[in-house]
Amino acid sequence: MNEFLFTQVLSELEDAVGVENCSTKQIDKLTHSVDYFWLSRMWSDRGREMPQADFIVSPKDAKEVSKVLKIANYYKIPVTTWGGGGGTQGGAIPVCGGIVIDTKRMNQIYEINTDGMYIECGAGAIYKHIEWAANEKGYATMHYPSSLTCSTVGGFLAHRGIGVVSTKYGKIDDMVLQMEVVLPNGDIINTSSAPKHAAGPDLNEIFIGSEGTLGIITKAQIRIYAQPEVRRFRGFLFKDMHGAFQAARELLQIFKPSVMRLYDEAETASLIKKIVGVSRPGAFMNVAYEGKKELVDVEEKILLETFKKYGAEDLGSDYGEKWWKEKITFFYPGHMMDLPQMFGTMDTIAPYDKIEKIYWAMKKAIETEFPNIKFIAHFSHWYEWGAMVYDRFICDNPPQDPIEAMKLHNRVWNVGVRAAIANGGVVNDHHGVGIKLGRLMKEQYGPAMQVFEALKKTLDPNGIMNPFKLGL
Amino acid sequence: MEELVISEKAKKQAESCRFCWMCRHLCPIGNATGQERNTARARALGVSMVVRGTYDLSTIADNVYECGVCGACTNNCVTGWDPKIFIQEVKAELALKGLLPEYIKTILETYASTGNAYGAKAPEGYKDTKGDVLFVLGQDAFYRSEASYKGAVALMDKIGASYALNEKANDTGATLNFLVGKTKETEDAAAACAKIMNEYKEVVVYDPVDMRFIAHEWKEWGIEVTAKVVSFNDYVKANMGKLKVAKGKNVYTPQDNYAYARDLDDTETVREILGQVGEVKDMLLNRKEANMAGSLLMDLYMHDVQMQVARDRWFNAAAMDCKVIVTENPAEYELLKATEPEGSRVMTLEEAILENAK
Ligand code: SF4
Ligand code: SF4
Repeated sequence: MNEFLFTQVLSELEDAVGVENCSTKQIDKLTHSVDYFWLSRMWSDRGREMPQADFIVSPKDAKEVSKVLKIANYYKIPVTTWGGGGGTQGGAIPVCGGIVIDTKRMNQIYEINTDGMYIECGAGAIYKHIEWAANEKGYATMHYPSSLTCSTVGGFLAHRGIGVVSTKYGKIDDMVLQMEVVLPNGDIINTSSAPKHAAGPDLNEIFIGSEGTLGIITKAQIRIYAQPEVRRFRGFLFKDMHGAFQAARELLQIFKPSVMRLYDEAETASLIKKIVGVSRPGAFMNVAYEGKKELVDVEEKILLETFKKYGAEDLGSDYGEKWWKEKITFFYPGHMMDLPQMFGTMDTIAPYDKIEKIYWAMKKAIETEFPNIKFIAHFSHWYEWGAMVYDRFICDNPPQDPIEAMKLHNRVWNVGVRAAIANGGVVNDHHGVGIKLGRLMKEQYGPAMQVFEALKKTLDPNGIMNPFKLGL
Repeated sequence: MEELVISEKAKKQAESCRFCWMCRHLCPIGNATGQERNTARARALGVSMVVRGTYDLSTIADNVYECGVCGACTNNCVTGWDPKIFIQEVKAELALKGLLPEYIKTILETYASTGNAYGAKAPEGYKDTKGDVLFVLGQDAFYRSEASYKGAVALMDKIGASYALNEKANDTGATLNFLVGKTKETEDAAAACAKIMNEYKEVVVYDPVDMRFIAHEWKEWGIEVTAKVVSFNDYVKANMGKLKVAKGKNVYTPQDNYAYARDLDDTETVREILGQVGEVKDMLLNRKEANMAGSLLMDLYMHDVQMQVARDRWFNAAAMDCKVIVTENPAEYELLKATEPEGSRVMTLEEAILENAK
């Protein structure tokens, strides 16, 4: 963009959001160019600049977002939405430059409605802050991902996030009632006043997981839940994962624990040994169950009986409690994989008849194709019909050259995700697609991809919204 | 391109924090501005890119001055990293290389010409006095917070203490330390203060930020203090018996100052004192998790943000239905006063005591 036009756009953006909320400073461009995506971290670690936006704007509400989108549409400037930047798929990186809309000024808590059991808040609210707001009234959001303290409500919605007590309380799409969204043309819309209706397809579902490619979520009604009277933990050691799967499926036909986490033998011997202290071979599983004490007593009895049937060794509650206490510690620098290692999480989801097969297929594919890469996994979100696998690859000595490192990284992902798709999995479970996996969307959806493409074309005819993300 | 020379220790902190946002929710500045650059991670990313030679040192100058050095991030960090270390070292480097932002240069000029960052004069009628114990009020209380100065002196009088006041002793070097980190000028200011202090057997330090500076940096930098240095809170607690206080019905909410709570590991003295004069009720984010309510030095160059930082604290108090906040620090008192919502009240600790003293 030439200097004249740049200045023109800048003055229009300043008019839309206020001079102090529109930046072209290097520090703002830098900090909005590196998110939690391994490639962006590696690239900057090697001293290279990631693609940067030309303008960083921080609107305070949907009206200001609307003004920004109208300007962007007129001048055909790309727009990337940035919440907390905690995404792992490069979804928030402004790969084509243009405008970054940082949502964190939209952090208002408008209402804590204990009759309707929801909090209405701006999409830029840090999730931990709305958890505090719920706690003050004696409730909880029950959304506890590792990124709870650093990511925004809008970020979780745009990437369909999930937290550790999902098995009982659900994923973010189960936790939202209504949303306010600004469409690419600047129109401000509200989804229906309640979900689970028959008034056509659920509009929420069009924008949840859309990663800022179809519009920008600016406000949401997030569900709150009663605090459980008790929350109990139980650790188990299975001889192998097969028994654990059978036990878990049977258990889920009877009741839903809040936490269910099964670690494969490799992860039990590494992470779980290091952080939780279980040092024997096998597959560790942690289960939490919670609610009214009388019910929890019954659930505990059923859990112990069911797991015993499948040969699980009952390790008592200590390991589980330690795990709960340390659940976020896993993600602090120094406690988990970090540069200079290359690593990634290839989470996928499938029904019980396929999930084990997918795990073995991905493991085999990665370990055969890349003998120097480790493959570890755990299964962290469970349903009556299936589970998700959180499988990670770790390469201790990736190439120092950033271009070579990028090529290797993308090859590993291709191999892993293609193995998942070939065996009935999907591109991703809860981290999203971003730029990292966009190319694999067509492989997954085939002709069904045209539905997304049609939506994109209609809502965003100029293609300004988060280009090259989600394969759109 | 100006490079950045910082210690290995500082580099290590920056290299760890640069990819982490786990303490974002607690940063009072980041919460007030909503700006991504106001996170420990963003500051670390900036530092690490300058260390790598990708950007000039001047790129990160403003950003280090947007940190309140309050340590909320450090306290929350389960892996023990401390962003304050690299923040302070970068400031010293900026000073050394002549790259300080203009607004910091202006404050330093004011400091050089008037002896304080605010260009203020001593309180009206003030005179240095003699006594057994040296009472160090600190620059914020002495030059910028009349209520703190008057209340502190009134409480010392009520205790019947024989205390000396010395205007020069109010400059412990904490002001320069915030502005330019560890430089020769900062060390000289600290040494000059120590020299005055060492003329006494006992010194009472009013501002926890000064107390922290003396307890940590002075010690680390080898500045010798022969006097016994006690914090105002400890001194008051030890002398409560002389005050003839009665426990009233008022409910007080401590605004834990970060220096007391985190660096000096003292969250209970204020509660014990307040417990003798009324009921104590905590607000959201208390004790070691306290959020700062602002800095008067930062108020000189980012006023609106400091107002928002203080308003956020009122919001934390309201969330727990707390109406009367009691401060231990003059800066927090002034900023909370400037943003006091209707129906709420901020008091200094000495005000709270005096209103219950016979
Ligand atoms: S201080 Fe700790 S929690 Fe905060 S960014 Fe650094 S490493 Fe992360
Ligand atoms: S020291 Fe305080 S102001 Fe600075 S980054 Fe940490 S929490 Fe924020």
